[in-house]
Amino acid sequence: MQAIDNKILENELRAIIAEIVEIEPEKVTLNANFVEDLGMDSMMALEILASVEKKYKLRIPEENLTKLTSLGKAVELTNKFINK
Amino acid sequence: MLLKDKVAIVTGGTRGIGRAIVFELVQNGAKVLFTYLQSDESAGIILDEIKELRGDAEAMKADVRLYDDAKKVAEETINKFGKIDILVNNAGITKDKALMMMEPAEWLDVINTNLTGYFNMSKACIVAMMKQKSGIIINISSISGIVGMPRQVNYSSAKAGEIGLTKSLAKEVASYGIRVNAVAPGFIETDMTKDLKSKEEIVKMIPAGRFGKPEEVAKVVTFLACERSGYINGQVIKVDGGLAI
Repeated sequence: MQAIDNKILENELRAIIAEIVEIEPEKVTLNANFVEDLGMDSMMALEILASVEKKYKLRIPEENLTKLTSLGKAVELTNKFINK
Repeated sequence: MLLKDKVAIVTGGTRGIGRAIVFELVQNGAKVLFTYLQSDESAGIILDEIKELRGDAEAMKADVRLYDDAKKVAEETINKFGKIDILVNNAGITKDKALMMMEPAEWLDVINTNLTGYFNMSKACIVAMMKQKSGIIINISSISGIVGMPRQVNYSSAKAGEIGLTKSLAKEVASYGIRVNAVAPGFIETDMTKDLKSKEEIVKMIPAGRFGKPEEVAKVVTFLACERSGYINGQVIKVDGGLAI
């Protein structure tokens, strides 16, 4: 799959995360920590991973779950697997 | 067909209880990938027999002591059959000896194959199950892990550990629609028990008056793997002819 502009990807991922965590999208800043700042649990992290995989038709190995700690990291990770 | 279109992994599927579980699941409509460590020949014979029954199965050589092997088993199952609905952790070994004679290596080997093997396979499959929000894990433990057996501190410890794993994981993943249960067989007619010296003495202790058959364990596994047991979670079902009442 072709690389997506980082800003577009960021906004799309922000929308996914805000919906799953049930918070306002503006609270999902690039550096807000998923667990400490947004109150995310492991079930939500998995849902985000599954939603990203579905939306962009990717397979992200579950070892990467621990790297999924902020929107910024999510953009980085998603881009890495889109470009694969 | 209690398990039509379901996909199952059975570890240690070429002998004893594992072999019976493979056939039982296939005959109930499941597609089964079973692992084995030693005999390519036995695996091939089982695959041929399953083909004759018009069942769908795959065999894979894997060492469940190694997490990388466990991951490959899960990946191969998804590649071949598209998903993982059921994991039956069964692969196990015994190295019976009195504690005073037991070498540390004999302790570790039994713990690694039985307990760590169950951890490795469960970890390798759990995310796929969590994502699909459904799954069944069945751990074949033993009454040795409930009542303890002399000359089996390694095996009893591993089997008791598997029960802890079962209960802990059941609570952890219940909200994802995953059920985790254990089966604790007593004395079953398999290679593992065929060389027991005191068989007659043992039979006297079993209220049923006989050893169990592998199929009698396998049928309980099928029950735990299907919808009929939908509200049973974190349990240990003894299949022991009443031995450990």
